[in-house]
Amino acid sequence: MPYFRITLLRSAIGLPTKSTGVLKALGLRKRMATVYYPVTPDVAGQILRVKELVDVAEVDEPLTRAEMKERRRPDPGYFVEKRGGALKKL
Amino acid sequence: MLAQTVRRSLLEARSILPPTFLLPFRARITTASHTLETANTVPESLLRPGQHIAEDLKEKTQLPKDTKNAPLTPSTPSPAVPSQQPPNTPQTTEQSSPLTPQIRKLLPLLHSQAPHYMTLHIHGHPYLLTAGDTLRLPFLMPRVQPGDILRLNRATHIGSRDFTLKAPEPAKGTRDAPKKVFYLDERLFECRATVVGVESEPMRVKEKTKRRMRHVRRVKSKHRFTVLKISEVRVKGLEEYERAVGA
Repeated sequence: MPYFRITLLRSAIGLPTKSTGVLKALGLRKRMATVYYPVTPDVAGQILRVKELVDVAEVDEPLTRAEMKERRRPDPGYFVEKRGGALKKL
Repeated sequence: MLAQTVRRSLLEARSILPPTFLLPFRARITTASHTLETANTVPESLLRPGQHIAEDLKEKTQLPKDTKNAPLTPSTPSPAVPSQQPPNTPQTTEQSSPLTPQIRKLLPLLHSQAPHYMTLHIHGHPYLLTAGDTLRLPFLMPRVQPGDILRLNRATHIGSRDFTLKAPEPAKGTRDAPKKVFYLDERLFECRATVVGVESEPMRVKEKTKRRMRHVRRVKSKHRFTVLKISEVRVKGLEEYERAVGA
């Protein structure tokens, strides 16, 4: 099932209230926020209302917020090789 | 005086070098100092008194004298010869076959120059470190205790006095893919750090006020930071690396 990936690139400040309302309905509260919706005529119409503000792509699977954050997380760059057993005893 | 010699040597180096299209693509390992550029005016023994490259090592690397300068492109501060490094840098040859010919040729040289530095990344932040350094991290590392030995395994640069092994430039993040940092092969080096302890900053007091209220709220904060000591920075030799890759 295909999904729309919608990212808010420009804010709706200074635009009619209807645009703000559509963004609120889509769940886009701030710039660079990303939401996923199934491809339906309703969502397509909503996107068309704010097409100047958002970036849209069609993807196969939606990502959750946690997954999106995990993709951005850098590598820790370390692992504990040996526990300091000698110091623990003191 | 020095500037004159440097300029002269640069000019000479440029005249020696073949045209740009004949040069090999941008070297992974580049020289990191000016010392090699003055090699044709000053004898080598005077230039590097502290260290020497063993003769058998030199033979092993099999660098002909004329082309010696070519793969060892002069270090980054070389505005006089910008055309030397063509823009088409090879993309991520490390992933497919880690033992490139340049690694084979230049890793022994890097390995033989004893004190090494590395740019190690912890949680995506780079730290330029060498053996014996004390590193106060900007955070309290969870689930570690003093005496623990950490292995740092993400590096983008390994360098000595004259050579630097660089990882490819990071790929910028796009809407479709997040930023991707290319690290050096972790089998190339061993870096260990010991957790020394926890350091804390002096207490900070911030006064918070609201309008038309006499009450002042004082917010205290006192952060704690983990302190590491870099106990080992070791670059593997070519044979050891070959074994690690082959295994």
